[in-house]
Amino acid sequence: MGLLTGKRVFSIMALCMMVGLLLLPIVIALPSPAIGEEAPAGDAVKKDGDKVEKGRDVYYKTEGIVVGAPAPKTTDGPKDYPRYNFESRVLIWFANQQHLYYGSFVLAVPIFCMIIEFMGVVTKDKALAKRYDQLAYDFIKISLTAYSLTAILGGILIFTFLTLYPAFFGYLSSIFRPVMHIYALMFVAESGTLYIYYYGWDKMKEGFLKWIHLSMSVVLNIIGTLLMFLANSWIGFMMSPAGVDEQGRYLGNIWHVIHTALWNPLNLHRILGNMAFGGGVVAAYAAYKFLAAKTDEDRAHYDWMGYIAMALGVSFLIPLPFAGYWLMREVYAYRQQMGITLMGGLLAWLFIIQATMIGILFLSSNYYLWQAMGRMRGAEKYQRYIKYLVFLLICGFLVFITPHTMVMSPAELKAMGGQQHPVLGNFGVMSAKNGGINVMITTTVLSFIWYMRGNKVSTVSWAKFGNIFMGVFFACAYVNIIWLAIYGYYIPANVRVGLSVPQVATTLSCLFFMFALNSVMMSGAKQMGPIEWGKISVRSQYALIMLATAFTWMMALMGYIRSSVRLFWHVNEIMRDNSPWAYTHTVGFAANMISFNVLFFWISILFVFWMGSLSAKKVPVEAKAGIPGSVPQPAASH
Amino acid sequence: MSALNNPVIAVIVSLVIAVGYFTFVDHYLMDMQGLDYWYLFRK
Repeated sequence: MGLLTGKRVFSIMALCMMVGLLLLPIVIALPSPAIGEEAPAGDAVKKDGDKVEKGRDVYYKTEGIVVGAPAPKTTDGPKDYPRYNFESRVLIWFANQQHLYYGSFVLAVPIFCMIIEFMGVVTKDKALAKRYDQLAYDFIKISLTAYSLTAILGGILIFTFLTLYPAFFGYLSSIFRPVMHIYALMFVAESGTLYIYYYGWDKMKEGFLKWIHLSMSVVLNIIGTLLMFLANSWIGFMMSPAGVDEQGRYLGNIWHVIHTALWNPLNLHRILGNMAFGGGVVAAYAAYKFLAAKTDEDRAHYDWMGYIAMALGVSFLIPLPFAGYWLMREVYAYRQQMGITLMGGLLAWLFIIQATMIGILFLSSNYYLWQAMGRMRGAEKYQRYIKYLVFLLICGFLVFITPHTMVMSPAELKAMGGQQHPVLGNFGVMSAKNGGINVMITTTVLSFIWYMRGNKVSTVSWAKFGNIFMGVFFACAYVNIIWLAIYGYYIPANVRVGLSVPQVATTLSCLFFMFALNSVMMSGAKQMGPIEWGKISVRSQYALIMLATAFTWMMALMGYIRSSVRLFWHVNEIMRDNSPWAYTHTVGFAANMISFNVLFFWISILFVFWMGSLSAKKVPVEAKAGIPGSVPQPAASH
Repeated sequence: MSALNNPVIAVIVSLVIAVGYFTFVDHYLMDMQGLDYWYLFRK
């Protein structure tokens, strides 16, 4: 009893410490802006005796006292751009991308841990609860090794900036001085919380202590998310600067510098993207372990793990295009020319590649779900309808990837009568593409619902009406999406642009209402048989690996697009990039660079997985020796 | 409830609800943006 009380006191102290760590950076950083306001920066503050110089915010249009130096006007030379006999931009690109991959992974996995640990705590099935808990523990163990690598890569990134782009980094850190300090302290808080969370797992595995442990995961994720938001403020500032005047002089309002036009859309897009990416990586890990498994128990365990990771990843993938759409809309609202460069100009072809990758993601997810129905008795009834889903997906995919104009030789151009194909060219506009992607997402929702009810028969008295209503609702949703896509061709652009909102609402209605309806119908449903974990085709596991690879490739692609849209600016319209690499690479070069980054990430993450497996190998032996019959059993439900 | 389990009635009722709902969504969400969903039909 005394021991338990001691543990409780210890755990509450640990939780308080974490909250303290969370608040510490804010408390310490509070005086920083004040000091920043008072401290004269260079010779910019005062001129003509006591006269205070004021500047006008380039975005907020408010007046503020100039407290920073103007953005440096760089020249190509060793002072501003010291270099090796190699393209500095490629080096920074590589360091940035690897840090982002690992950063995303270690931010996403603790969120998964929190969700899975919570599922373990609330589930009534004790065997299943134990499996959830073990799964969450396995996840955080992988994350811990990756966390060290993230920190190392962050160090490499900073050194690369300092040595290759000192003028730019000096300017950025002069603007973001308090934010960078908060960031560093947040990182300390994140590390402390992560270690207590990981090493306290066994000591806090039951009752009240478990809830305290779960609360720690919440604190951990709040810190992680805030960290990401702060890092996002830097890229947001580079794309859409605010809080500075037209010369780039800081005006003393740190919130304006952080809260730029694109900050919030970037935050949302990155959270969802990280989660989808993290789910994909863990699913690929499970798929690899499934393929290498020697026993049925292992196959069952990794099949289940892959499914959970895929389900989490895809549930964040579904709203991702909508977040992307919001980001693009805000880009257009901020600078129309920037939006045109992205989607209708220099970088438009990269968006065609991106559309192809998104299509592959949805095709792979659906394929996995159809294959996964093979491990349920009773799901055969849906097999004959899958061809219709394939048809819908392919139609949506083909419309989604059709370019507005073609790259052609002069002879081809002449034969076709212009850059735009007379028929296919019509599909290269947003009206059609919104229809295409919404059809694909709605089909994915439908596949998920079929999977969830695969081995079940509803026993509610209104089951027949429920099934018919669900079918009619989906059919009407498809009709509405396609109707809005066609309607867009007949109305002016300023009205057409609004049609995407009801299209998205239609898809989300299917997602939320039909999931809710299905859950009500399937509560207390008759089971045709258990889910036979491990009895799934090998092909499905390759689909998971495909999913993860496509996520990784697309993430690098979108990072490149977002970064290149600044063209020849370090900070858009404020600080010009005068290095010899201030030009946009060819699509081929960018694709090769992206592929190299993807390959490097997967090789290094395999190393991380291998490291994780070194400590895991001992566990089953001890478990089997100590607790007979503790081998994981296939779950009765999902 | 038994009447709703009649397929014909179920389809009709479902169609009324679904079509009504999506029309409302289209109209309301366009109106919320200050745009006219019925633009083409008014012209």
